[in-house]
Amino acid sequence: MVDILFIGLSLGSILLLIALGLSITYGAMGVINMAHGELVMIGAYTAVLAGIYLGANIFVAMPLAFVATALLGWLIEAVVVRRLYGRLLDTLLATWGVAILIQQAVRLELGLTFFGIQIPGLGPGLQNVSVPEILSGTVAIFGEEVNAYRTFIIFVTIVLTVLTWWILYRTPIGTQVRAIIRNPQMAAACGIDVKRVNAMTFAYGSGLAGVAGVMMSGFKTVFPDMGTPMVVDGFLVVVVGGVGSLLGTVAAAGLLGEINGVFASVTNDILARAVVFATVILILILKPAGLFSFKGR
Amino acid sequence: MSETLQRRLEILAYATFIAVILILPAFADIFWLNRFAKYLVYGMLGIAIAMSWGYSGILNLGQGLFFGAGAYMLAMSLKLASPTSLAQGSDTPVPDFMLWNAEPGAPTDLCCITGGSWLWMPFQWVGFGAFMGIALPVLLAFTIGTVIFRQRISGVFVAIITLATVLLVRLLVIDLQPITNGFNGLTDLAWLTIGGFEFDPYLLATYYLIAGILIAVLIGARLLVATRAGLVLQAIRDDSNRARYLGFDVPKYQTFFFAVSAGIAGLAGMLYVIVAEFASPTFMDLTFSITMVVWAAVGGRNSLLGACIGAILINTIEASISETEMFVEAWKAIIGLIFVLVVLFLPRGLAGFAQDASAWVVGRLNRGEGSPASAVGQTRNQAAE
Amino acid sequence: MSFNRRSFLKSSALAAGALATPGIFHRAAMAADEIEVGVLFSQTGGLSIIEKSLSDATLMAIDEINSAGGVLGKQIKPLVEDGASDPKTFNEKASKLIIRDRVPTVFGCYTSASRKAVLPVFEKRRNLLFYPTYYEGFECSKNVVYTGAVPNQQLSNFIPWIINTLGKKKFFIVGSNYIYPREMAKVSKILIEQNGGEWIADEYLELGHSEWGAMVNKIKSSGCDVVLSNVVGDSVVAFYREYKNQGISQADLPICATVTSEVEIAAMGAEYAAGSYTSFPYFQAIDTPANHAFVERYRKFVNDPKAVTHHAMASSYFQVFLWKQAVEKAGEATPEAIVANVGGQSFDAPDGKVTVEAANLHTAMTPRIAQWKADGQGEIVEAYDHPVFPLPYVAYGETQDNLFCTAQGLDTSKLNQ
Repeated sequence: MVDILFIGLSLGSILLLIALGLSITYGAMGVINMAHGELVMIGAYTAVLAGIYLGANIFVAMPLAFVATALLGWLIEAVVVRRLYGRLLDTLLATWGVAILIQQAVRLELGLTFFGIQIPGLGPGLQNVSVPEILSGTVAIFGEEVNAYRTFIIFVTIVLTVLTWWILYRTPIGTQVRAIIRNPQMAAACGIDVKRVNAMTFAYGSGLAGVAGVMMSGFKTVFPDMGTPMVVDGFLVVVVGGVGSLLGTVAAAGLLGEINGVFASVTNDILARAVVFATVILILILKPAGLFSFKGR
Repeated sequence: MSETLQRRLEILAYATFIAVILILPAFADIFWLNRFAKYLVYGMLGIAIAMSWGYSGILNLGQGLFFGAGAYMLAMSLKLASPTSLAQGSDTPVPDFMLWNAEPGAPTDLCCITGGSWLWMPFQWVGFGAFMGIALPVLLAFTIGTVIFRQRISGVFVAIITLATVLLVRLLVIDLQPITNGFNGLTDLAWLTIGGFEFDPYLLATYYLIAGILIAVLIGARLLVATRAGLVLQAIRDDSNRARYLGFDVPKYQTFFFAVSAGIAGLAGMLYVIVAEFASPTFMDLTFSITMVVWAAVGGRNSLLGACIGAILINTIEASISETEMFVEAWKAIIGLIFVLVVLFLPRGLAGFAQDASAWVVGRLNRGEGSPASAVGQTRNQAAE
Repeated sequence: MSFNRRSFLKSSALAAGALATPGIFHRAAMAADEIEVGVLFSQTGGLSIIEKSLSDATLMAIDEINSAGGVLGKQIKPLVEDGASDPKTFNEKASKLIIRDRVPTVFGCYTSASRKAVLPVFEKRRNLLFYPTYYEGFECSKNVVYTGAVPNQQLSNFIPWIINTLGKKKFFIVGSNYIYPREMAKVSKILIEQNGGEWIADEYLELGHSEWGAMVNKIKSSGCDVVLSNVVGDSVVAFYREYKNQGISQADLPICATVTSEVEIAAMGAEYAAGSYTSFPYFQAIDTPANHAFVERYRKFVNDPKAVTHHAMASSYFQVFLWKQAVEKAGEATPEAIVANVGGQSFDAPDGKVTVEAANLHTAMTPRIAQWKADGQGEIVEAYDHPVFPLPYVAYGETQDNLFCTAQGLDTSKLNQ
C-alpha cells in the first residue's frame, strides 16, 4: 500500500511542479499561458545543453534553467502578454501561437539548420540527461525501497512550494502580488506598480517552469513537443484548485495525483486517466470556482 | 456608417463569398476542389465556433468532441457499406477490424462478434448514421449545456470542462478498440450513395454537395442569430446577470445555442468523412480543438462569415506554405507567428478589420460622419471578453 | 445501400475518368526526363523524431540511384511532403501527391494510423505505397508494398528463444494502447503457450504516455520473470528509465522488446537498456562490410557523425532499390507496372538479402535478436540463417503452405475458420 501511495504522491508532486508556475501567472495576472509547457521544455533543454557544453549535472542545471526560462518569460510578457491584460481568452490564443513558435525554434535549432549549422543537443531528435548516481536506483524510506529520483522530485517540489509561499506571504513584493490577485484596480490605485509586479510575477512563474523542466528531463524524454500535454494537466490542477489559491493548487495536485496512482495500481492506467478527467469535470460542475477560491475575480 | 449601409455591406460580403465558392470549380483542378471541400468543412466549424464563442460568449475548447461524434456516426454506416465489410461471409456486414479484435472462435456476426458490436447494427441503414451524426452531438451538447449552464458556469470554466470532456471521450474511444478500432480510427469506407449516385470525394458533385450545405448553414445561422432568441443570447453574453434580472431563462438560451453549434459541428464531421474517407480519434485531439478556435479568432469571432473565411484562409495558407520546398520544416513557425500577430494587432480578426476599413472608407466619403461602426464594434468586443 | 464489387469497379473507373484518362494520368511523371516520386513522412510534430530519419534514408537511396545514372536513364525527383504527425494531414498530402502531382509511387508512412488514413486514396486511385515500418499485419492491399517486418518475423524465433535459451517462462506483456502492440500480444500468447510458457498479465498504457510508476510497480510485484514490451514511441524511454530507477535489474528480469531500436536507446541513455533484448531484422551492429558502408554513408548524408541507423530506416533505404528494380523490369513507371513486377525482386540490403514475395507483397527478411550493450549498440545473440517468409495473418493460422493473402487478394473464407 505504501508503494501505491508513494506513486500517487509522486504523480501529485509532478503535477504540482508544473502547476505551481501556472497557478501564479493565472491567479495573479489572469493570463492563461499555453506556452507554459514549452517553458518546461526549454528548462529540460537547458539541462541537456548544460550537460553537453558545461559538463554540468542537474543540480547545476536547475538555477541555470530558472534564469533562462525566467528571461524568456520576461520577454514573452513584454512582447505579447502585456498587450493583452484583461483579455483572458486572447492570452490563451496568443500564447498558443508563442508555444508553436518556441517548439519550432528548438526543432530548427533556432533557424540555423537553414544554413547547414547543427547544434548538438537541439534539433528534432530525442535528447537525454543522465541522472547523478546518487539519484538513480532506490532509497529506503520507512523500510520501503522507493525510487530515489521520484523522492528527489517530491523534495524539490516541497522546497519550491514553500519558497513560493514565503515570497507571497512574507515579502513586500508578495504582498503586492496578493493585492493584485484580489483586485488589480484597487492595487494600482494604492500605488502598486502593477506592470512591474506583473512582469516579475510572470518571469518567476516561467522560472518555476524551467526548474520543472530540469526535473522532467531526468525521467522523461526531452524533445520539442514534450510540453504540450503537460500544460493541460497543469491547467486542470490550477482550475480545480481554485484560481489564485496556492493551497488549492497543492490540494488539487495531491488529490488528482493520488486518484491517478491508486486507480492505475488497482485497475489500469487508461482507466485511471479517465477517472481523473471525470473527477475534474465533476468538481468543476459542483464547485465551479474550484476547491479553494477567493471571491472577487 | 448608417445602419442600412452596414447591412447592405454585410449582405454584399455574404453574396460575394457565396458566389466565390460557387464559381471556384471553374478555376481549380479536381485535387484543389477536394481540398477546398475539406476547407469548407473547416469553415463550417468556424461558423459553429463563432456561434458559441462570438454570440454566446461560451468558449468551447472541446468542439472536436462534436465534430468527432458526427464523423464517427456517419463513418460507422459507411464502414458497414464498404466491400470488405460485406465480404466477411456473414449475413450482416462486419467491419474487418472487429475480426482481429475478437476473441478466437467468436461468431462472425455483427450481433455478437465482440462485446458491444451490436451497437453497430442500426448503422447498416445509412440514414440512421446520418441522423445520429447530428442527433448525437446535439444530445451531448444538450446534456453538457443543461448541467453547466444551470450551475451558472461561464468563461474559462466552460473551456476547461469542455476540454476535459473531449479528452475523456477521446481516451474512451481509443480504449474501446474492439468496437472503435482504437487509435487507427475507421478507414476503408464506402462512398456515400444517395439514390444510386456515389459521392466520390473527387467529383464536382461532392464539392457542390459540401458547398451547398455550407451555404445553407451559413445563411441559416445568420438568420438564427438575428431572431429574437439570438438577440437575447447576445444580451446574455454582454451581461448575463442583467438578462437574468430581466426575466430571461438564461440557461435555456445558452443551452439551445450550444446545441445548435454542436449540431453544426457534427454535420461538419459527417461531411469531412465524405471528403477525407476516414474518421480518427485525432479529430478529438486537444490541438485540433484549439486550432479551430484560432481559425475563428483569426477570421473574427463575432462574425459567422468572418470565422468561416478565417478557417478556409488559414488552411489554404498552411497548405501552400507547407508545400513550398523551402518551408517544409518551418511552416508551423510561420503559422504560429500569424496567430500571435493577429491576436495582438487584429483583436476582432479579419472581419473586424474589414468592418473598420469599410467604416473608414465610408467615413471618408461622407466626411464628418466619422466611424461610429468601429467604436460600436470595439465596445461590443470588450463586452465579449 | 448495396455495394458489390462490380459497382465498386465501375465507380473507380468513373472516378479515373473524372480525373483524366488513364493514358495521361501519369503524363507529368513520364514525359520529362525525370521520374517524380512522393516521399511522405512527418517532418514536424511528435513523430518527426523517427520519421525524419526514414525520410533521410529514402532521399539518400534516391541520391545514390541518381548518381549511378538513375532509373531507365531518368533521374528520380523526390517530392517531399510533411505529414505533420497527423493522420488528417497524411491523407491530404497523399491525395496531393497522387492526384495533383500524379506520382507513380509514394514512399512513406510510419505509424499504422497514418497508413490506414492514406490507404483509401491509394486503393481507390490505384496508386502505390511503399511502406517501410514493421507493423501488425492483417492487411492484404494490392496497392502497398510492405518492406518492414510482420509479427512472425519478429516473434517466431524470439519467444521460443526467450523460453528455451534464456529459460524465462512467466511473461508480463506490456504495450501502448494501440493496434500494433495488441496484435503482437495476440501472436505472442499463441507462441508462449505453444512453447510451454505462460503469460501472467497483458497491460496497456495510453500512447505517448510517459508516467510508468504504477505499471513498473505492478511488474515488480507480479512474479513474472520476463517482460515482453510492445511499447511504442517516446513512452519507451520513460519505461526503461523507470524500470532501472525502481531498482529492477535487467539480468534478473529482462525486458524483451519488439519496438525498442537504436533511436530509443540513444534517447534514453544506453545505461538504462544495457542487458535488455530486442528482436528486429536489422540492427546497426550487423557486422558486414555492406552494413558498415551503409552506416558510414548515412552519417555522411545527414552530416551527423553520431547518427544511428535502425530497422524501419534500413527498410526505407532498401525499398527504393526494390522499386528501382521493378521499374527497370517493367520498363515504365506506372503503379500497375511496378506492382506487377515488384514481386520476386531481391536486393542485397544492409540486413542481408531481402525479397518481395509476389503473393502478398510483403518482404522476406532475416529475423535477429540483439542484446543491448552499455555503448548503445546491440550485440546479435541469435539470428536465422535464412530469410523468413512474411505471414501477415499468422495470428489467424496463416502458414507458408496455406496463405490467406494471395496474388488474388485476401481469401476471407480462411479467416473465418
